[in-house]
Amino acid sequence: MKNYFKIITSIIFLILSSNCFSDENLNYKIYKNLRCLVCQGQTIADSNSDFAMTIKSVVDDKVKDGMKENEIYNFLADKYGDWILYKPPFKLKNYILWFLPYILFFLGGILLLLIFLKKTPLSKK
Amino acid sequence: MLSKIGILSTLISTILSFLLVYQSFSEVKSKNNIISKKFYYLSFYQLLFIIFSFLILLFGYIFSDFSLINVYENSHTTKPLFYKITGTWGNHEGSLLLWINIMVLFSFLFLVYKKNTEKKFKLFTLIFQNILILFFLIFLLTNSNPFSEIYPAPSQGMGLNPILQDPALGIHPPLLYLGFVSSSIYFSAALASLICRLEANVFAKFIKLWVVISWSFQTLGILVGSIWAYYELGWGGYWFWDPVENSSLMPWFLMTALFHSLLVLEKKNGLYAWVLILSILTFIMSVTGTFLVRSGILNSVHTFANDPSRGLFILIFLAFMISMSLIILFKYFPNEKNNFLFLSKESFVLFNNWFMIFFLTVVLIGTLYPLFLEVLSKEKVSVGPAYYNIVLAPFIVPFLFLMSYGPQSKWFSSKLVDVKKMFFIILLSFSLVFIFANFEKDSSFITTLILVFSIYLILQSFLDLYTSIKNNSFNLSRSISHLGFGMLIFFISTNNILSTESNFNLKVGETKKLTNYSIKFNNLKILKEKNYETLVGNFLITDIKNYKEENLKPEIRVYNQPKIVTYESSIKSKILSDTYLTMSNLAGSEFYSIRFQTKPFMNLIWISVLIISAGGFLRILRRENK
Repeated sequence: MKNYFKIITSIIFLILSSNCFSDENLNYKIYKNLRCLVCQGQTIADSNSDFAMTIKSVVDDKVKDGMKENEIYNFLADKYGDWILYKPPFKLKNYILWFLPYILFFLGGILLLLIFLKKTPLSKK
Repeated sequence: MLSKIGILSTLISTILSFLLVYQSFSEVKSKNNIISKKFYYLSFYQLLFIIFSFLILLFGYIFSDFSLINVYENSHTTKPLFYKITGTWGNHEGSLLLWINIMVLFSFLFLVYKKNTEKKFKLFTLIFQNILILFFLIFLLTNSNPFSEIYPAPSQGMGLNPILQDPALGIHPPLLYLGFVSSSIYFSAALASLICRLEANVFAKFIKLWVVISWSFQTLGILVGSIWAYYELGWGGYWFWDPVENSSLMPWFLMTALFHSLLVLEKKNGLYAWVLILSILTFIMSVTGTFLVRSGILNSVHTFANDPSRGLFILIFLAFMISMSLIILFKYFPNEKNNFLFLSKESFVLFNNWFMIFFLTVVLIGTLYPLFLEVLSKEKVSVGPAYYNIVLAPFIVPFLFLMSYGPQSKWFSSKLVDVKKMFFIILLSFSLVFIFANFEKDSSFITTLILVFSIYLILQSFLDLYTSIKNNSFNLSRSISHLGFGMLIFFISTNNILSTESNFNLKVGETKKLTNYSIKFNNLKILKEKNYETLVGNFLITDIKNYKEENLKPEIRVYNQPKIVTYESSIKSKILSDTYLTMSNLAGSEFYSIRFQTKPFMNLIWISVLIISAGGFLRILRRENK
């Protein structure tokens, strides 16, 4: 049985590894993290609007100038506001966004622990 | 004419709902144990008339009766028949009528299910369900009437948004509605059971079927929505963590937590209060999602139709529902002594709930935070896929492990499972990933772990399936759904790692050489269809390594009604990989902007979700046969 699984997964992975190549580069990665401000819920990468085209060429220029990914995000956020970034920047006003889930998960864990530690065995009833 | 019949039929249904509530209140006091026949009649006619209203609207769409504003605004005579039909629920008013239809349908089904048992509980459920129905009927009749007339009747309609003219989107809303609108029935049942102080396991037996039904349809609905997004929106993705997508996912998390908890309720009468809370929350979350979508306060690809007055109406209703639930919960909160052994099956159900609620809060915070921030500080922030990936990905790993381990544990016992076997399978999964996956980019530590543990879950689920078949136990639903989930995570991750994309400009006759493919722009044709004109590009894609050729024909369509330009992607879908091409024109140039993508395992992602929901449907059938 296990051998059978192994063969199937092996075949899948062989195909995987043979195809493993990407034409994607930094520019596309950046486009995908930017909101097209004139569209509804689209990224720069997905939009054909004039705005998206302009931003694409700005990004291309900045990448050519040797600017780092994060520097480009900061540059655009300064110009257009954080609204343009799909990854909310990690700063004071966004701390709730970034930390609250973990705090809640932790509290949930404590609650579970309390449930397990409570000792009133049902079997004695 | 149609307008008057439609309104009349809806009004009759409203009166019947009111009668049902009124009659139930007086019947509850009677000592008789059998629900009198009149309730079945009332409920049946209520269903009949509301279906009739829906058919009237459907009729209006099929025969393009533009004296109805709703038909005038959303249809057109040149639209193909299929889209005239699906257009019925492709707009706010029509979909609200469909919503009410489903609520009434489930009200009726619940009444006839397990006939002549627990009379008081059933009548109270009927009361709550019909209060909900009444509210939506009043909303429909006063604010969003699909039967409103326009005089004189225009000779032509305004047409349906072309991106909604799509087979997947035709069935997407009904499926999703069968999912989260049907959760109203266990919302009502939970409130009723609180008031009647129904026994825990009786309640579990009553609502399990409905929870599994809604969960299975919700899963399918989300799947069809993703498939639609994949080939219609033309960006090559299928999930963008868009607020509206999130609105369909949040009730799904709650439903999943709910039916896992129901197992504990059935087996050991535990978690009663929690199950009640989850039942109530699921429908509240569904209505909240609807509020976010219909009120238009969120910026999303889905904001096709919105109107603040609708939002206000739903918000008032939401406030009413929440306060009613809270009052009933506090007044009748059940006393129970829960006792959980660590590593017992029931403890794993708790772990499931822990993670589900965590996933829910992440999505909820991600969706709502921008709204709060904007109100409080006037600053706008976008929460996109990057946020969800960063926050959620690390938690997927332990979650996958628990999903594999949990089902093997025993009820009421903290005995460890066969640890040797477990380590062997995990080791096997590890070696598979390390031997065969030489991903060069993006294979971060967490991604690797996710791959390992999704393979572990897949292998373990297969083993579970094998043992249940060997033992002639046909309780396969759980293993099937877990298997589907393992596959889903595995294929999503590998798809994420292995997808490729190139953007470039081409003109007719030119060829673009990429590392593995060459793309030749053969020709360009203009075609005239019934309701649009289209520019079809013909591209020859050559797979250099495998000497394979295929033609892709992306389009740029100009629809006549309404005048909208859409970019249609061309996809060649194969079992292991899709090739995906979109083209768009560049103003004042003979060049076209081309986007070529290869997307491995797309079909397997869809199949994985189908397998997940298949587990649910199997459970429904098995219950029916019992």
